[in-house]
Amino acid sequence: MEVGQMQRTWVEYTKSLFMEGFLDGQFTQLQLLQDESNPDFVVEVVSLFFEDSERLLNDLTRALDQQSVDFKRVDAHVHQLKGSSSSIGAQRVKNACIAFRSFCEQQNSEACLKCLQQVKQEYYLVKNKLETLIRLEQQIVAAGGSVPMEELSF
Amino acid sequence: MEEEEEQQKHEQASACDSNGTPIHVLAVDDCFVDRKIVGKLLEKASFKVTSADSGKKALEILGFSQDKVEKSSYNDQKIDIILTDYCMPEMNGYDLLMAVKGNSNVKSIPVVIISSEYDPQRISRCLANGAEDFLRKPLQHKDLQKLRSYVKPSAPVPKTGTKRKVMLELIPESGTAETRPRIAGVAVA
Repeated sequence: MEVGQMQRTWVEYTKSLFMEGFLDGQFTQLQLLQDESNPDFVVEVVSLFFEDSERLLNDLTRALDQQSVDFKRVDAHVHQLKGSSSSIGAQRVKNACIAFRSFCEQQNSEACLKCLQQVKQEYYLVKNKLETLIRLEQQIVAAGGSVPMEELSF
Repeated sequence: MEEEEEQQKHEQASACDSNGTPIHVLAVDDCFVDRKIVGKLLEKASFKVTSADSGKKALEILGFSQDKVEKSSYNDQKIDIILTDYCMPEMNGYDLLMAVKGNSNVKSIPVVIISSEYDPQRISRCLANGAEDFLRKPLQHKDLQKLRSYVKPSAPVPKTGTKRKVMLELIPESGTAETRPRIAGVAVA
């Protein structure tokens, strides 16, 4: 695929991620922070987010598996995940976390388990999307092109 | 996009004190993702950044030493402003604020709290106890200009035509931050 085609694919794919609510303006903020002095900034932050999130999802699974669920602990983990997903612009994960927290407050185990499934689903979806996006960007750069950020006005 | 870049350039030019030295921010947050993002946001706007992953670490950086035999030198890293997350385990942002404002060696360093949650009681309590401001996460470019405005100049500068002037008239001779009255929810410009 030639560079121009790859760039057009990148623009369309990025736009779709925003339109479908996977990402919000905070992700654009991250992209704007990337520059020549730190050309891998977005990849680094996103990788940290993946590590952090998977650790939290494991902690949540364990916490909800206990005989007597410590809802304060569960809420603390969800709060963290809500925070980091908000910081990178993973809007659907953030929204799923907001719903999750309300059930933690109600101390509703069954609802919390359903929320955990929902959060996991949203997380793995956005992880897949971000990995695809990053791969596209790396292909563009490897082919000698640049990521056309300026095309993203909508 | 162009507007954002223009705003960034403006802020790059302004993140220095009156001597042209970059403002040194101590950024405290237990979340690695947030530390990285806030650190980059500040650096890109030409602030100097030191990061800490806990209130305890922040106090160590400020010179609070557990070793009471050896006299620690407070703020030898010359922190100009502390930007701390509220929700942190063990020592939260409020606890850090109180520790800083309770120590005469460092209490003049402005403290700004950031949080992902809007809790009016939490905000009032922080502002009433000496926090300069309480900002919402995620931090935006427009918030950085506020940080610049909270950094005290090295020589006292009379302020006119702002809310701060009214506040100054009520401060006793010693100028201690904790006696300055605060209106909850009002950030001094």
